[in-house]
Amino acid sequence: MALQLRLKGREHSIEIVARRPELVLRIDGVEHRVAVMPGAVMLDGRAYLFDEGVTGDRHFVRIDGRTFDLEAVDPDLEEEAAAGGLDVIRAPMPGAVVSLAKAEGDQVRRGETVLTIESMKLQTALTAPRDGVIERIVRQEGQTFDKDEAVVLLVPLEEDAREQTS
Amino acid sequence: MSGKSFSKVLVANRGEIACRVMRTLDAMGIASVAIHHAAEAGAAHARMAGEAVEIAGDTPVAAHLDGRQIIEAALETGAEAIHPGYGFLSENAGFARMVAEAGLTFIGPDADVIALMGDKISSRNFAQKHGVPVAPSVMPTEELDEFVRQAEAIGFPLLIKASAGGGGKGMSIVREASGLREAARIAASEAQRYFGDGRVYAETYVERPRHIEVQVLGDGEGGAVHLGERECSVQRRFQKIIEEAPAARLPASLRDEICEAAVRLAKAAKYRNAGTVEFILGADGRFFFLEMNTRLQVEHPVTEMVTGIDLVRAQIEIAAGKGLPLAQKDVRFEGHAIECRICAEDPERDFMPETGRVARLRVPDRDWLRFENALDEGRAVTADFDPMLAKLVAHGPDRSMAVERSIAALKDLALLGVTTNIDYLGRVLDHPAFRAGDLHTGFVSEHREALAEAEPEPGILAAALAAAAMGLREFRDLVEAVPEPHATIGGWRN
Repeated sequence: MALQLRLKGREHSIEIVARRPELVLRIDGVEHRVAVMPGAVMLDGRAYLFDEGVTGDRHFVRIDGRTFDLEAVDPDLEEEAAAGGLDVIRAPMPGAVVSLAKAEGDQVRRGETVLTIESMKLQTALTAPRDGVIERIVRQEGQTFDKDEAVVLLVPLEEDAREQTS
Repeated sequence: MSGKSFSKVLVANRGEIACRVMRTLDAMGIASVAIHHAAEAGAAHARMAGEAVEIAGDTPVAAHLDGRQIIEAALETGAEAIHPGYGFLSENAGFARMVAEAGLTFIGPDADVIALMGDKISSRNFAQKHGVPVAPSVMPTEELDEFVRQAEAIGFPLLIKASAGGGGKGMSIVREASGLREAARIAASEAQRYFGDGRVYAETYVERPRHIEVQVLGDGEGGAVHLGERECSVQRRFQKIIEEAPAARLPASLRDEICEAAVRLAKAAKYRNAGTVEFILGADGRFFFLEMNTRLQVEHPVTEMVTGIDLVRAQIEIAAGKGLPLAQKDVRFEGHAIECRICAEDPERDFMPETGRVARLRVPDRDWLRFENALDEGRAVTADFDPMLAKLVAHGPDRSMAVERSIAALKDLALLGVTTNIDYLGRVLDHPAFRAGDLHTGFVSEHREALAEAEPEPGILAAALAAAAMGLREFRDLVEAVPEPHATIGGWRN
């Protein structure tokens, strides 16, 4: 099984091909001769200096004035996420709900404001990612949430659902 | 003027600006007192001070806004003066008044001058009266129907703001009548929440405006000088991210006109302290008064770098009654300076604030570079405070050298563990329009596509992946294990 590292939502695979006499890794399908020492990595004979910082599951690597925010993919969590399938409005940052423009059962058009949140003293309108019906308001007015938390769940409009099944 | 001198000053702030103020206090042989909430115990500014006093509050921000507690801390520690930094209570007239009533010196202007300049309308009227140009506008009101009627009469585009506000809160640009009412409603609600004053205000929006501001020093008795202008046109979410001094491509006669208008305003207000008069400059050369900030500005270091004047020292000496540090004819300008505000935010997600932890900090050391910060490796970056983490300020003999040096320093800087705008800032500086000095406050949105991060070079990406993989203990163990492992690899965690 290859190690999967996620960068900006895209997964990259890393496999050990050989460990001796020198380390060979297959990175995204391409074999590279690799040697890593603190602060430097040799890749196919070329040296790259890097800085790294690890916090929780996030592994930051900075090379040549560019930062890579990497995360090792946990296969168990991935399955859970895939089983979802509901349309969700997620909080883009931690904050609180200021006002709700829609109630459960209301129809919304794509881009329509569903609720206004406040974070870092700024109010932001969160809009529907697509046409649908508000199935559940997870966070009510005045309630707080963390980044990436689901605040509102959507289901497809019934007519769309019929079209899809017919 | 002879004046008094202070032996101890309380710094009513935190983070990089508290550290920066204390650096000058140290240099002047003045003892410093820091304040901190329990959530920031052991923070850099508290460690740097001679004494640190804990202040209580439901949130850290609430504690830093509790003037009464802060004055008590000053009295208890025997501080004679309070330096407010920027933000928090720095432009709060009530606080300045309370400080004076407690027998302490507020390092800033008189409360009445703060109140005059702190209100969009009174400051605008004052500016107009003293021959400083202002833009056509709607008077602030809480009556939204009346507001909408008057705003429509001026025409579009319109800039809508909270009357008592600042920092972009409640601000928006409205281009047609249909969006006006909703924008006014949001502005009024944010105004009420943050400033306790629901009045909203609108004025003609200048297309492709440049933000030009003038640093002034006033002695409080009608004497004032300017230390040149700064350009702060590169903004996102109505907040500055790159500032420079002097402004690029500004004709000398226009520069003089703008700086003279700022000095006229400061003299008329009998302004005391360092202050900044902000203007909006149109492509046609017309400029309008925006507001006056009656405090030290975030971007003050660029002015310090081109003039060689320590603005905090000037503030303290003026507050002590020692007058202005120099006459206008003695102000000299040398080279060019650029400040980049490094923020915990994601440029790819509309600059939304980010949280994390400072896992790695490595700062390049150059004699032309200032890295203003209060960061510690290991400390969490939370949503408790403003997302600005640090300021990187570079000086060069001319603008192109200052740009090159800033790009090099950003590239060399490692601040890892939270998503930041460091690489984004580098791309802004490297953009041909920035290099050409073709700036306006819509720069960030105008060049959105060109400023997006390019795909990484394959070799660099592979090197980063290899480095990260070898940083994972389970992976490294597999590589280094003797003998060859037979087990398959399980979950990957750091």
